[in-house]
Amino acid sequence: MTEVDIRLERDRFTLAIKEVFAGGITGIYGPSGSGKTSLLQAVAGLEKPQAGHIGVNGRVLFNSARKICLAPRERRIGYVFQEGRLFPHMTVAQNLKYGLPYQGKPLVAYDEIIDLLGLEGLLHRKPQGISGGEKQRTALGRALLSAPDMLLLDEPFAAVDQGMRRQIIPLILKVQQRVNIPLWVVSHNLEDLLKLTSRLCLIRDGHCIGHNHYVELLRQAEAMTLLGDEPVGNSMQMEVAWPTETGSLIELQWPGKSQQPHLKCQVEGTPPAPGSRVRVVIRASDIALSQNRLDGVSIQNQIPGKVLALLGNGDRPLCLVDTGVPLAVEITGPALRQLGLEPGKAVWCLIKSVAVQVIG
Amino acid sequence: MSFSDAEWQAIGLSVRVAVACMVITLPLALWVGYKMARSRFRGKAVVESLLHLPLVMPPVTTGYLLLLALGARSPLGQWLESAFGLRLAFSFHAAVIASAVVSFPLVVRSVRTAMEMVDTRLEDASRLLGAGNLKTFFRITVPLAMPGILSGAILGFARSLGEFGATITFAGNIAGETQTLPLAIYALMQVPGGEEATLRLVLVSVGISLAAMLLSEWYIKKLRHDRG
Repeated sequence: MTEVDIRLERDRFTLAIKEVFAGGITGIYGPSGSGKTSLLQAVAGLEKPQAGHIGVNGRVLFNSARKICLAPRERRIGYVFQEGRLFPHMTVAQNLKYGLPYQGKPLVAYDEIIDLLGLEGLLHRKPQGISGGEKQRTALGRALLSAPDMLLLDEPFAAVDQGMRRQIIPLILKVQQRVNIPLWVVSHNLEDLLKLTSRLCLIRDGHCIGHNHYVELLRQAEAMTLLGDEPVGNSMQMEVAWPTETGSLIELQWPGKSQQPHLKCQVEGTPPAPGSRVRVVIRASDIALSQNRLDGVSIQNQIPGKVLALLGNGDRPLCLVDTGVPLAVEITGPALRQLGLEPGKAVWCLIKSVAVQVIG
Repeated sequence: MSFSDAEWQAIGLSVRVAVACMVITLPLALWVGYKMARSRFRGKAVVESLLHLPLVMPPVTTGYLLLLALGARSPLGQWLESAFGLRLAFSFHAAVIASAVVSFPLVVRSVRTAMEMVDTRLEDASRLLGAGNLKTFFRITVPLAMPGILSGAILGFARSLGEFGATITFAGNIAGETQTLPLAIYALMQVPGGEEATLRLVLVSVGISLAAMLLSEWYIKKLRHDRG
């Protein structure tokens, strides 16, 4: 758990955040210049707030009333910068080992990090000779090896291309599952963030205007002023039930909800092991609604639910459906009237198996 | 080309003075250069001017001030003599001190510029990885500033090899003890028929300076190559 209650004034900008953050992955989302990076720097100790309190798992990092302000090196915060900030005069291996604690055990062993992040072939290279994605992986490994209590990732995707993102996002998920420390990811790309987590903290003009699960935020008018223009997606953590005989088609279930209908989906490469947790993203526009269960259609997933709420304005209404977990579904105005949708009405969510993106 | 014992003495002495001068000034310059590059404090401009003073002052003036401060009749000089039996003025030590004072600003200037070029964000990254100020300084700042530190050291080395005014004022022109190459050259020029010996020492002086420059150039190139 991370407590932040700070006031940071600088020039004509004020960052005032009072939030309690749970463990796991939190996405910090907002337009550029909104104070996302300042928040991270305040937690890391690179910026000093005028007043307030910062605590990680009960350990006080900053408290203006008690005159506590730990130096960055004492905070045990792993920070991965946008540009990686690898030391140019050291090899990848030397970079990785730089923060190894003299005493005590690292969170993850050196060899395991190399394995986990696929750094084997890079160890003797200098940062100048490796790609943007490789730099990010090295920076992530370096931060993890310094045995942090918490990881902060500042725009980790900004400097890498689309293909690299597809590699790094599952790695971040894997790392978080392995070390299980609070992990914050700052980004101005909502789609990327939702592939990592559904829990978002929205920041605008130095203030938090919403901190909750994405689907809940969709119901808040103020949060929607920030989220409204972005395509809506459903981001969920699911469990692999079992791989079906057909190989690339696997079935997923919501953790702890085994009686719920399974979600069938397509995966590339080797399917994840049964029982493992994966993050799943489904675009709201990839889900259709039907009044009845349909027979004779190619759509693999038909999930029953009840309409929770109708949101949004006329040209792009959103329907929240409770299927055990809330799903956001994008529908058109005419469809809304045709189906006579209203809260409490029973519907079926139709999802093609190819529309279910399994991130890793 | 063969040298007389006196000439060898002057060559050896010059190199010893210059090396000793670097051993003293370089660590100090690293520290002062870092402070000047990174810290903000009141009166920084004054400190800066004072640091640069020996660079713009006539060396003879510097030597004379040193004599006033550390000479046998100064309070500090008297204390040094009574406490340690040390007479600084007109000794090998004096030659080293005179060289060090005159070359120090050059070294600091170079070190400081080099350290200002080092990305402070890398130093932040180091601290976030749990490194203290000392580790950050020696493993990030100094290695990254190395080319500039090195050229500063060479500049200082060359300056102390060529030191004349402050040395002759504060350390005198004592053969075998304070008579460095420039002083020996000057002394030889006064002697009729010393033209050949003068030329020999001038060539040696040029040779040492050139070798130092080439060595540093080679090393900086090697550093750059190693860093890709």
